[in-house]
Amino acid sequence: MPNKTQRFREKVLGFPNYFKYWIRSFKGSLTILCIIGLLSFPLLTTNSYFLGLFILAMIYSIYAASWDLLAGFTGKVSFGHAIFLGIAGYVTAELLKFYNFHWLSALFFGVLAAVFIGLGLGYMTLRLKGPYLALGTLVIGIICQSVFALNPLKPILHGDEGISGLPALSSSTVVIYYIVLIFMIITFIVLIRITKLNIGTLFKSIRDDETGSEAAGINITKYKIIAFMISGLFAGLAGGLFAMFNRSISPLIFQPLYSFYAIIMAALGGLATISGSALGAFLFVFLTAIFVDFAEISLLIFSIILIIIIRFTSGGVLKPAIERLKDIWDILLGR
Amino acid sequence: MGTILEVKNLTKKFGGLTAVNDISFEIRRGEFLGLIGPNGAGKTTLFNLIFGSEKPSSGRIRFDGKDITGLKPYQIVNLGIARTFQIVRSFKYLTILDNVAVSCLSPRGKKVASQYGTEEYASTILAMTGLVDKARIPPIVLPHGDLRKLQIAKSLGANPQLLLLDEPFSGLTHDESQAIQELIRKLRDDGVTIFMTGHVLRELMHMVPRVIAMVQGKYVCEGSPKEVANNKIVLEAYLGRGEGFA
Repeated sequence: MPNKTQRFREKVLGFPNYFKYWIRSFKGSLTILCIIGLLSFPLLTTNSYFLGLFILAMIYSIYAASWDLLAGFTGKVSFGHAIFLGIAGYVTAELLKFYNFHWLSALFFGVLAAVFIGLGLGYMTLRLKGPYLALGTLVIGIICQSVFALNPLKPILHGDEGISGLPALSSSTVVIYYIVLIFMIITFIVLIRITKLNIGTLFKSIRDDETGSEAAGINITKYKIIAFMISGLFAGLAGGLFAMFNRSISPLIFQPLYSFYAIIMAALGGLATISGSALGAFLFVFLTAIFVDFAEISLLIFSIILIIIIRFTSGGVLKPAIERLKDIWDILLGR
Repeated sequence: MGTILEVKNLTKKFGGLTAVNDISFEIRRGEFLGLIGPNGAGKTTLFNLIFGSEKPSSGRIRFDGKDITGLKPYQIVNLGIARTFQIVRSFKYLTILDNVAVSCLSPRGKKVASQYGTEEYASTILAMTGLVDKARIPPIVLPHGDLRKLQIAKSLGANPQLLLLDEPFSGLTHDESQAIQELIRKLRDDGVTIFMTGHVLRELMHMVPRVIAMVQGKYVCEGSPKEVANNKIVLEAYLGRGEGFA
């Protein structure tokens, strides 16, 4: 049996080979293709509207993926995920506008705040399960919205209007695009890695059977809170980027609608897949953008499309889409 | 052979119902002990109390000289007690290997697993329980006999000194039950102390040298299976009063 250091050395030395193998596999080449596609998109167009759509979709991808880690992998279905988005957004905006922080450090503190909120939220909702957890998180989100909109607290929390007129991340949309893209790639690498590591197995065991997991000697309290914190970290990252991209933030960010966005996008792409969240987010953003011209009935059309998608793909669109692609891929390679 | 588990005056009340009533007994290290009693005798409740799933109303439990009363289940597992459940429980979207790996990742399991690697250690356990060829499939497709084996495999990951088996034979065919019996004997030979319940007496009575009998939450007697089977209260509890028929 190899010992710890030997195994570690094998892993490090074996990585180039593993990478070569991975990149030739279907999944690997698809991933690389997507990344190259996203990297080269600004070469096709520098139209700030299209770039803006992509930036929004990428921010939402991070947000939905963070929800997927919590709900899809740990089984804690949160209906108040916008809390992370909002808190991180507010902290980032506050530091950026009133304290003249560099955007990176402002973002860092925003994310840090979201991690602490994750700790608190995880601790508060520890004993809640299923619909009660959903209700609990939903209500906490609504409380946040009301508190941030309170008039008496206006000197601290800026009331209804929130904070607006943030300094722009960069004068060029292309630069913002690449900044967000880098954060998105990092997020997905980290999150997918987490689900494959031991801690991912423990998260999944908590999702499948809490009692069984505890009977296996796992401190489930600890891992549930860790899941909330990791999820909060990435949702906070999305929140900070969202605030900086929109250059404003208001209490409306806490409304349940934004929490539902995460659920819609992750479920659309496929639960417990992480990468499905990206697909779901892009679909979501493009669909809303396409139907925005039909003003009053845009929501109606969008909802109907959602129902049709859910009717035919109970597990999200990612898996069937990948299977179709793989068929085409196999035909192209003449297999 | 010292005492590994000592239960003293253990009582558990659910409202007006006393499920476990003032029970005291000892388990010696390396022993193979059975617990019998008809349905509703409080066997599972007693297991839950030892394992920390429920808090006793009064009484103490000492394991390996340490007071473990009121500890949480995961703390108790990490001290060296593992259990299986009466109903089969599994992580249904994980592979069989990962099902076992979960307990290998507990602090106590990690101590052993770190020498071999978690996956290798889990595979060793699967090999021992006879599930190794099913390592990569999820438990939903397993037959009931294999699920029972998986229950034991899952508990072994944490490297237990004392194993509590709650009805390991329920719902099994004869052959499946034989396989489990063999597995349990193998574990005993490896030095694991085993405490096992059953309300079906056939298998249990053939296996264990010493039995404790419980009726309606109360300790009745202990001794060899033969002695216990001839105890009047035990007979009455299982068969009813015999006066009219004798």
